[in-house]
Amino acid sequence: MASVADIGRDLGEAHFRVDESKVRELATALLDDDPVYTDEGAARAAGFDGIPVPLTASVLVAFSTPGGLIGPALDLGMEVGRLLHGGSEWDYLRPLRVGDELTGRVVVADVTQREGSRGGAMTLVVLETEFRDAAGAPVLRRRETWIERGA
Amino acid sequence: MGADSPPSAPSAPVALAAGDAMPVATVGPITRTDIVRYAGAGGDFNPIHHDEPFARDLGLPSVFSMGMLQGGALAQRVGRWVGPENVVSMSMRFTGQVWPGDTLTLAARVVAVDGNAGTAGGDAVAGGPTATIEATATRDGGEVVVRLAARVRIASPGGHA
Repeated sequence: MASVADIGRDLGEAHFRVDESKVRELATALLDDDPVYTDEGAARAAGFDGIPVPLTASVLVAFSTPGGLIGPALDLGMEVGRLLHGGSEWDYLRPLRVGDELTGRVVVADVTQREGSRGGAMTLVVLETEFRDAAGAPVLRRRETWIERGA
Repeated sequence: MGADSPPSAPSAPVALAAGDAMPVATVGPITRTDIVRYAGAGGDFNPIHHDEPFARDLGLPSVFSMGMLQGGALAQRVGRWVGPENVVSMSMRFTGQVWPGDTLTLAARVVAVDGNAGTAGGDAVAGGPTATIEATATRDGGEVVVRLAARVRIASPGGHA
């Protein structure tokens, strides 16, 4: 179980490439039929330098993270059957590009406990990830809230 | 993918004024196939979203969708309106679950514009006007399942107060 002692804990880093085929697959899975995400010609015709990247493309780091998307939460001892994603926030320091090589480092930003609406202690964990590009410049910051419902 | 297919996402900032609304869109009905496709595309293999016996053993009626599926779909639609590369920051809260068969209504509007964003402290906007957008994804029956807020660069402050 995650506790306040975990605040500040470094959960390690993961490297991934913003791959064109994964961008296409993600846009399609997000039920977006805009051809700018699947056709470079359409993207350039719309004024983009290349295929743009979905606003939630930071999820792709999951493919380089042990345990996938929920790996860091499980590392903290959160239980998979009681785990809920409460929300996320992003600061976009520059648009991501297909071909970007990114490194995301995950740190536990906050852990709080409160009484759940159905009884039992609910644990809220905020994970903060800073993504840097190949030159080491920060390009994206993400904060995710994970909730472990009371037993 | 609704039958409505708006123009492609713009690359340059667009002119928006307070009160402007995005054309309302619908997605769905969300199927288990949609959920599984998102699991593979987005790397979310929590079994609660694809393993029906696992979900039922937890007392749930079925698998349910990931917040990042409906949240990401809403973000894509907002990006198609304002231009994905003009988004400075975005937050989303998952306020309800989406079940197979649900159809979602996606709506967004400009709640404020700031013509002098460069003076706002502590963020990366180097001048130029911005708009604050609020958006929702709503299930049939009115339950809001995603609340999204975004700050975006715009071409003109429009209805700046």
